[in-house]
Amino acid sequence: MKQIAIYGKGGIGKSTIASNISAALNEQGVNVMQVGCDPKRDSTRILAGGHLIPAVLEIYRDKLRHGQDAHAISLEDIVFKTPSGIYCVEAGGPEPGIGCAGRGVLTALQILKDLKAFETYAIDVAIYDVLGDVVCGGFAMPIREGFASEIYLVCSGGFMSIYAANNIARAVQRLARRGDTGLSGIICNSNGDDALERAVVPVFAQRLGTSFVEFVPRSSVIQACELEGRAVVEHAPQSDEAAIFRDLARKVMENDVKVIPTPVEELPELEELYRKNLVKVEAV
Amino acid sequence: MRTMPTDACLDPYVRCALSGAAQTALGVSDSAVLAHAPQGCNYLVDGAFSWQDCDYAQTTTLCTKLCEDEIVHGGEELLARTILEAKELDISALFVLSACGPEIVGDDIVAVCEDMQPKVDFKIIPIECAGFRGSQYDGIDLALDAMLRTLAETRPTIPNSVCLVAPHANANPTWMADLAWVKDVLSRLGVQVVATLTHATPLSDLADVAAAEGVLQLSHDAGYRAVAYLADTFGVEPLCAELPLPIGMTNARRWLTSLGERFDAEPIAENMIADGERMVTETCRRRWPMARFFYRTPAAIVADATIGIPLVRFATEEMELTPALVALRSANLDAERLLERELNELGLAPQVVCGTDVYTTRRSLEAVRPRVVFGSTIERHASEGLDVPYIFEVVRPVRQFRLLNREYFGYRGILNLLECIQNEWSDRWRSTQRRYAARW
Ligand SMILES: Nc1ncnc2c1ncn2[C@@H]1O[C@H](COP(=O)(O)OP(=O)(O)O)[C@@H](O)[C@H]1O
Ligand code: SF4
Ligand SMILES: [Mg+2]
Repeated sequence: MKQIAIYGKGGIGKSTIASNISAALNEQGVNVMQVGCDPKRDSTRILAGGHLIPAVLEIYRDKLRHGQDAHAISLEDIVFKTPSGIYCVEAGGPEPGIGCAGRGVLTALQILKDLKAFETYAIDVAIYDVLGDVVCGGFAMPIREGFASEIYLVCSGGFMSIYAANNIARAVQRLARRGDTGLSGIICNSNGDDALERAVVPVFAQRLGTSFVEFVPRSSVIQACELEGRAVVEHAPQSDEAAIFRDLARKVMENDVKVIPTPVEELPELEELYRKNLVKVEAV
Repeated sequence: MRTMPTDACLDPYVRCALSGAAQTALGVSDSAVLAHAPQGCNYLVDGAFSWQDCDYAQTTTLCTKLCEDEIVHGGEELLARTILEAKELDISALFVLSACGPEIVGDDIVAVCEDMQPKVDFKIIPIECAGFRGSQYDGIDLALDAMLRTLAETRPTIPNSVCLVAPHANANPTWMADLAWVKDVLSRLGVQVVATLTHATPLSDLADVAAAEGVLQLSHDAGYRAVAYLADTFGVEPLCAELPLPIGMTNARRWLTSLGERFDAEPIAENMIADGERMVTETCRRRWPMARFFYRTPAAIVADATIGIPLVRFATEEMELTPALVALRSANLDAERLLERELNELGLAPQVVCGTDVYTTRRSLEAVRPRVVFGSTIERHASEGLDVPYIFEVVRPVRQFRLLNREYFGYRGILNLLECIQNEWSDRWRSTQRRYAARW
């Protein structure tokens, strides 16, 4: 079984990419489960027809309120199967400004593990879609032993998104030493500045010691599909974007490489790497 | 030479801030303590309960018993509900104490208490005292701070009156006797005690505390901030602030003299001193303890600052020992300065460790190799294999059961200390195994 985690700066397109990979894999006959690890619990929205499914922590809370404990939760309560057959789970979390969302991720994933979700549904690939940056230990949970082993970073050509990806690579570097976890690649989700992105993101990937996996263009098709609450391969199966996601899904499936990344330690070096490519692109 | 443990503390002597805050809150009568904490932290509240000799029939402690759900989603709601439950209790104040977990996830206990205040008849006093904020002594300071800031009001000054600060920050296992001695002395000097912060203190005393003319700090480990606050905000005068607490002949004399002068009661103070000193010398003449055999023996003092600092002079003058190591459980600058002054006056240059932990104590004992140790049962173990013939267990924890409170302050206090020493001495001579180890 493959366990993948998708990390990247907030709003960079992790949920979009994760969901579209899930849908493409499902189309290829792979049994997929997508686990949203973000208190916003919107990771699986486009898989679930535009709806927000109930979250693990919400159900857990409900049980506690009725004098029950985690043992009273069953897989049927927390795992939702889409009509096309994708299994969706949302960890959920506290209201903004209160409690500890990181601890929430830990709790939710532990419940999923205790209930043997992957074994029960004979999952081939689990995709964890994890909130923003790695903000604390809780959000690093999916990288820890027993959970995701292959990490993908999503970034665009924006400097701060590369900076965030580099920070996450540092967390991966720290945690990868302990287990069988590693960085498997970088996915560029374009912000529209294609020329710069095609120049800088591969160089950045190389600097981290990993591969540049896919370039996903900025596209109104992707947005239209999101609006309909559907994945691209389902809603626009003939589009170029659908072909890209199918290709990405295939690559993810075939890729077994996991490296301990070699992140940039000093900000000036990262700036320099970026500046060089910026100049190159402008010269062209 | 003065050292401080630099690395992580190995086996601390003192507990966390929550513990100190609970010790302080439980010293207020007709109140209850609510620990906003997981159940394990609440164990410290139980410890504080006995430290203040609380009455099981009268004092209630509550705990929100936080579990995973409250850590993930925040525990403010549960805290609010628990505060409402305290409505059933016959109390005038509820102290709400927060532990690490809720403070890490950002529970705002102050806001919850403010919201709940109109719904209950008792006064709610929040104390943010998560263990990570510091030691037990820091917890005492945090609690005193919260109490003074929320309860103390401006009052006309009562002439010849004092308030007492931090009597419970004292490692004498029966520290209440020290407090009782101080109160007795004050009453003989014609000085009224307005409030004690805290031991069996009525809530109204806390409101009146600023009526005191002076403030007497009964600890060298905690209470400095409270004294400063009372002085700065209400002009309450710090008394005996530059003196070690009254343990041993000289310390007692200086302390009593200073109070006598301050309250125009010199003759009374002088009489107390004369009577006390006579009582001690006569008792010693009749039942001569073996203290004289310790002449110039290297000694270690491992204690809290409250007992440890005055003991330096006691050990040097009363017992003619030579302090070679002074290791204090707390580390604060005021106490360090006081210790330094004492050492200078006495012409001593022992190794000094502030904020020691058990490991550092062991290493220091290994380095110094004293023949005599003043400390607790912990030092008995920490001295194993070091051929220390005498370990005087004077500070908490001690092996002996104490049914009666025994003070170290004042003249009977000197005899109490000598009794500990004498008992250890005879024990050693009675033990066939240690008999020869004890001879030098
Ligand atoms: N390639 C893309 N083209 C156009 N819009 C995109 C693309 N990728 C993401 N978006 C849009 O960006 C927004 C944020 O994406 P989302 O996947 O929710 O980000 P994240 O999960 O990283 O916070 C969404 O509204 C999404 O439709
Ligand atoms: S240190 Fe924190 S967690 Fe530990 S007992 Fe104290 S308050 Fe509780
Ligand atoms: Mg998302």
